[in-house]
Amino acid sequence: MSSPSSPAAPTFVIGKARTRMLGLTLDECIQAFFGGNALVAVIVLALITFFLFREGAQFFNQNRDNIRIYRLAGLEYVDYMRQQQEDHTALTRYLFDVRLRTLKHLTEVEHCSLAEANARLASFDDFAGRYGDAIEPVRGLVSDLTEVATAIKTKFTIGEDTKIQREQLLSVGKTAEAAAVVIQPVDFKSELAPILGTLPAYKEAAVVVRKNLEASLATIPALPVHSLQPRMDRFKQLTRDYLATFPTTLHAMEIWDYTRPVPLWKSFTGFMLGRQWLTASFWQDWYGIVPLFAGSLLISMIALFIAVPLGVGAAIYVNQIASSTEQGLIKPTIEFISAIPSVVLGFFGIAVLGQALRAVSQIQSLNWIPGFPFSERLNALTAGCLLALIAVPTIFTLAEDAINNVPRAFKEASFALGATRMQTILRIIVPASLSGIVSAILLGLGRVIGETMVVLLCAGNRIQIPDFSVGLSVVTQPVHTMTGIIAQEMGEVPQGSIHYRALFMVGVALFFLALLINFFAQKIVRKYRISIG
Amino acid sequence: MSDLPHIFASRPSRGRFLERATFWVFRLATYLVLACGLFVFGDIVVKGSGTVFQREFPFVNTTFLTHSPESLYVFEYKGQKHEMGDTEFRAFREKEEADAKVAGQPAPKIKTESYVYSAGGIWPCIVGTVLLVVGSMTIALFLGVSSAIYLSEYARDGRFVRFIRLAILNLAGVPSIVFGLFGLAMFVLALKWNVSLIAGWFTLAFMVLPVVITASEEALKSVPKGFRDGSLALGATKWQTIRSNVLPYALPGILTSSILGIARVAGETAPIMFTAAYVVRDKLPWEVDKLGDFFFQGVMALPYHIYVVSSKIPQNEYTERVQYGTAFVFLLIVGLIAATSIVLRNKLRGSYKW
Repeated sequence: MSSPSSPAAPTFVIGKARTRMLGLTLDECIQAFFGGNALVAVIVLALITFFLFREGAQFFNQNRDNIRIYRLAGLEYVDYMRQQQEDHTALTRYLFDVRLRTLKHLTEVEHCSLAEANARLASFDDFAGRYGDAIEPVRGLVSDLTEVATAIKTKFTIGEDTKIQREQLLSVGKTAEAAAVVIQPVDFKSELAPILGTLPAYKEAAVVVRKNLEASLATIPALPVHSLQPRMDRFKQLTRDYLATFPTTLHAMEIWDYTRPVPLWKSFTGFMLGRQWLTASFWQDWYGIVPLFAGSLLISMIALFIAVPLGVGAAIYVNQIASSTEQGLIKPTIEFISAIPSVVLGFFGIAVLGQALRAVSQIQSLNWIPGFPFSERLNALTAGCLLALIAVPTIFTLAEDAINNVPRAFKEASFALGATRMQTILRIIVPASLSGIVSAILLGLGRVIGETMVVLLCAGNRIQIPDFSVGLSVVTQPVHTMTGIIAQEMGEVPQGSIHYRALFMVGVALFFLALLINFFAQKIVRKYRISIG
Repeated sequence: MSDLPHIFASRPSRGRFLERATFWVFRLATYLVLACGLFVFGDIVVKGSGTVFQREFPFVNTTFLTHSPESLYVFEYKGQKHEMGDTEFRAFREKEEADAKVAGQPAPKIKTESYVYSAGGIWPCIVGTVLLVVGSMTIALFLGVSSAIYLSEYARDGRFVRFIRLAILNLAGVPSIVFGLFGLAMFVLALKWNVSLIAGWFTLAFMVLPVVITASEEALKSVPKGFRDGSLALGATKWQTIRSNVLPYALPGILTSSILGIARVAGETAPIMFTAAYVVRDKLPWEVDKLGDFFFQGVMALPYHIYVVSSKIPQNEYTERVQYGTAFVFLLIVGLIAATSIVLRNKLRGSYKW
């Protein structure tokens, strides 16, 4: 059936001439523009990596020079002896600790008067005095050599400085002045001769020390308190172990050679495994990340220890148990807590929490808690408590999401089988959302490790590896952290110095640590995701 | 007969007791968190409001809010205890010295204790924070929203998009101090912008970018697909569709969720420490010779000021006022921003239902 009045086919103009730029239509240009913006995240990540390395990578070369001069100037050689001396000091400290415990026992348990207790400790004190003096020959040697070695190092640094000065003069074209700058080369061989010449003296000193110690060990008196005797036996063993290190030290000193090259990996391991972060020291600067990392880790563990039960518990409560009015109240409040700026929390820690915790720790009846009482107002515990408050909202939000994503059918099936609410929650819902909860905890860890202001203000900032041997009371020690050290020292270091570059390397370590934590969090979620819709 | 309980009524049992006890543990955990948060908030509000508010008219301590920080001088003079800011103290001393000269006595010696930053106000810090927030959020919103438009409207799921998403996720996890280092290395040193507003803007903008992208994408995704299909069916181009049928509906969502980003930008100290913040600066930001200098000047900022006053000066009754006062004002600003965001979003969730 054809229509008689069909009009002539109109000529449509479909294609408008499109404006083209670089062969792209306008729409494609817009798309490219937005796509370019989407790449910003990638670019920023790349830029962060690039610039951190640009400023930091030179560190390893500089640190190698740092270690090289440590060797060339004989500081390393002197440190062998110094180490021996310090080990001995540690032993005398142990002895002192035993005395303190004995005294405490005598006065508090046996109710002796102080004079009486001291009288009973007289033979012990006599022994401790002899033991402490035993090291004297080595100590004298060390203090003499310290000056010599420092003098060599100073000479070398001055030489380096004049070199730089001459180069600067040359670069501005002042050839005459540059020629006038005299550089005195340091002949390490002759400079080191007085130090190396002390080897026979050291040998003699070591023999004397050994004789002294052995003699004093033979006359070790029995402690007036019998229950502490095991400590003395342990002390004997420690001294024997100490004496056993003498030949190794001597051997190391005999084969020591200032010309031995320092490989680059030494500089790297010195940073990653170095147990000292020591700057602006008269003797030798060390840039080891371990104390900072240990501090960061300790604080994060305290924070997570508090925040995980609270955050996950609150997530379970809000999602499964609370009424909807409660939900409407709790969720915004926790979000609000997450908006409290960390510097305000840090200030709160300084002004209120530090003192409050110390006051609590000094209550007599709480003495059984490890680490109590403590005297440092700012320590890992203070910072950890505040960081917990920062971690809780992160953990809560993500864990609540994870719990919310458990399919409804799981819950219904569990109820249908006659399980109670508690059984359903603890045996069905939580295990089903465990991957999400674990990743929430990991992201909470990432948040806590990267937090700066709270730890800078409240952690006490003592650069030392926390003494884990004291058990749980380690949490009350002041520590320093990776984030804190950057914030504290970056403003004061000259640009381009080794210290400046070391701080950038700490930043690199922090950056990759954060990426690693993120990576694991995502991996866990992806791997253990429940695949039932 | 009626004494007997209903056979289906719940009877107390060990299991039931255990369940109730467990639930109470969870409840306590939740409320403990809330109590801690509110305690911190309350402590600062209570102690800080003493500095910011006053009993007499106009009830707000205008000096604190509108003046620059000054040193505080505490001294005893002629049996009276005085506390004065720097300018007031100088005027006072000059007057006393002049009086003594007239009376023919030697100039009086005034023994003072001084505390830096403890008198005057925090006006430059407020200004600096506002400038930092406005600038960085403008940059972040521009980059973030464009990025989100690409991810939600243009991109097809593929390796490229997954790569970008991975980058965004990882960027969100980078510690703020690392952003500070990055800003120092790139903007302050490599681009030679020195410690300046613009360096701080870019550092903060990059830091908050993941928040803005995620929030914007969520808002864009919540616009129904039918809106786009309808527009495309009428012959509009992709860009026309986005401009007229997607963005207007997504905009409120984008803005409200991004306010949380503002709270983050305003609250962070570490990124601006090396890039934008000065410990103290006499001039206000608009007192510049030429317009170009405006971007290349450092500013004082509230979070950094809190850090300075809480770590660099001793804690006592004289310094406490400025410490708590600054913290209170700062918390108030950040809290207001966050509360606005939360309330607006909850409202939005209810009103936009299609």
